[in-house]
Amino acid sequence: MEEEKRKNRTELPKILVFACRWCGGIGAGRAGWKRLEIPASFRIIPVECAALVEPDAVFRALSSGMDGVAVLGCHVGGCRYNEANHAALKRLDLVKVLLDTTGIGGERLLLAFGTAHEDHQFAGIIRRFTDFLGKQPPLEPWTGFAKNADLRSEG
Amino acid sequence: MAKTVVLLCRCFGELDGIIALDGIADRLRAEREDTSVYLLNSLCMEEDAHRIGALLKQEGARAVCAGLCAAGSKREALWESLRNAGIERSGLFTADLREGCAWIHQGNPPGATEKAKDLLFMALAALDEKKASADVSADVHPECLVLGAGPAGLAAAVSLAGQGIPVHLVERAAQPGGMLNLISRTYPGDDHAKTRIEPLLREVETNNMIAFYPRSKVVSVRGFAGDFKIGIQGPDGTLRLRAGAVIIATGAGVLLPRGLYRYGELKQVITQMELERQWIRGVPDDKRFAFIQCAGARSPERAYCSTICCPSSLKNAMRVMEEIPGGEATIFHRDIMTPGNLLEAYYRKSMEKGVRFIRFHEEDPPEILGGDRVEAIRVRDAARGKEQVLALEKVVLSTPLVPNMDNRSLRELFQLELDSHGFFSETYPLHPLETRVDGIFIAGSARWPVSSDKAMEQGEGAAMKALGMLKRDRVSALSLSRTPGEKPGHGTVEERTCTGCGNCVSVCPFLACSLQERDGRFVSRVNKMRCKACGSCVSVCPNGTMQIPEHNYRMVGAMIRRAFP
Repeated sequence: MEEEKRKNRTELPKILVFACRWCGGIGAGRAGWKRLEIPASFRIIPVECAALVEPDAVFRALSSGMDGVAVLGCHVGGCRYNEANHAALKRLDLVKVLLDTTGIGGERLLLAFGTAHEDHQFAGIIRRFTDFLGKQPPLEPWTGFAKNADLRSEG
Repeated sequence: MAKTVVLLCRCFGELDGIIALDGIADRLRAEREDTSVYLLNSLCMEEDAHRIGALLKQEGARAVCAGLCAAGSKREALWESLRNAGIERSGLFTADLREGCAWIHQGNPPGATEKAKDLLFMALAALDEKKASADVSADVHPECLVLGAGPAGLAAAVSLAGQGIPVHLVERAAQPGGMLNLISRTYPGDDHAKTRIEPLLREVETNNMIAFYPRSKVVSVRGFAGDFKIGIQGPDGTLRLRAGAVIIATGAGVLLPRGLYRYGELKQVITQMELERQWIRGVPDDKRFAFIQCAGARSPERAYCSTICCPSSLKNAMRVMEEIPGGEATIFHRDIMTPGNLLEAYYRKSMEKGVRFIRFHEEDPPEILGGDRVEAIRVRDAARGKEQVLALEKVVLSTPLVPNMDNRSLRELFQLELDSHGFFSETYPLHPLETRVDGIFIAGSARWPVSSDKAMEQGEGAAMKALGMLKRDRVSALSLSRTPGEKPGHGTVEERTCTGCGNCVSVCPFLACSLQERDGRFVSRVNKMRCKACGSCVSVCPNGTMQIPEHNYRMVGAMIRRAFP
């Protein structure tokens, strides 16, 4: 059933990207200067710092039809807000655990902390994430619930 | 009369060559009430800025959504023309349609057009929910506190006084000069130690813009950038000083090499500082000197180079050769660190004078031989691979500069950060000499080991940065941005729903949040002067109480809803 669903996907997976104003956003901008060709199925919400991305926003995005969420911030040691990105990384790692626990899958949250120079990194991230998400079954409501139900019926 | 105006930049074909802007404009007009859409060739050119201003006044617009390039969304010029037309900061939202859309989807114009349409609808949805942060401002007290009267502090004080700023120069010791009081000569000019700072010392004595407080230390700190209230304790009691900015130039200490190379056990094993004291008293008796570099530096506990020890050894080794009849000097080193042209020339001069250099490996350091006094040194010469034994009388250890003992208490008082070695931490590399607290700057060896000439340069640099604060009449919290332009906003607490959990207090990288008592419970309060709107507090707030109005959760929710049809 899941195989079928996977094959029936014609659209590219939808990705929501939170990019910080500095390394994340500038890296994305540089990809534009280089005219690197990237799949058009992602939307960026610019944030001041990756620290501004609330866990709730990630869950909301995944519940609203997005297949994946990417958070782009500055590299370790390079945050303009005094290592706020370090705390953000740890926090969002915990969000991954929650996503795993609920059956949504922590792989649907991508965390990339790089430098502003890395335009190819930005392009590569989006392309690889799009590829990866395309191979996953589409997110449906109650996916996690369905998995738990299976376990329960076994016990 | 439209409430919202959408400005779409064609960018002279760069955008509408790929994205069908006309179609999108029609869609926007059809789906939204009270919205006018304009297509312009460019939003960045002078003529267009004027047109925009006139256009917005004519429409009576209160909000503007601009679809343009990534650079344009950051341009101050655009913000200015909007402000002139009466648009508040919270009334603008931009969408990057060029670098973020047209240019990365050149092979896919339909996809790019779809995306541009979505980005604009997201921007409009965001604009509907965007609110404005409150701002506070305060008068700037145009005086500066300089802590430490060594070369860095002296240079800072004299620099500021020269610009008409009254300076309070507070020093722990009885006289100014810092470490230059403890050494005999400076390199590379081999001048008397205080020659470099003579003019500064004279200025401190004669210029009545500079108030000097010897034997004094800081005991309390309150306030914020523009108006710090500082308590100083001196020999005559406690004083209250007010300053718009603070420069910390408290210098560094020197490591005592206990346990290294039999220091403490044999009297003839001394440190560079002890050698300097001997030179101050007169010419030493001994003839044959060994200088051992990196004693306690460039090791696992202290993985840094202290920059000043190699030139100092060259200075003292050459002095041994010149002033002591029959004097011999050998420098035992792992590397000789003498960057730049002056120090490189100094190094060559020392070789010409007959100073000898023997290189050893970190894992195989030299050994001091002798029973109750130094007799010889045994070393494995790394260049030749052979073991050598040299007879000598005196061993001088080059030990690194280490953080001052005061750093910890100063850190507490000023709420600064120390780096992993204990020196005062600078913020992000683009802001040298600045700390995480606005208005507090660091210079000299308190920041990182430097020689006195570099310390003076940094003192002047810190003075110029302090001047940026002190020359203002008033300082507004939104203007205390670390980036070009204003801060995007401030963390704002909805007091009704705040549970007083304190998450925000512990996570804020700038210590801007604190808990205040209100009607028998605790609520969070944001110090707007310190807040940098990074959003850390927002994401750890358990119930959405803490928000940045310009990027609140309703906005994000609205943008998510409109991201894809």
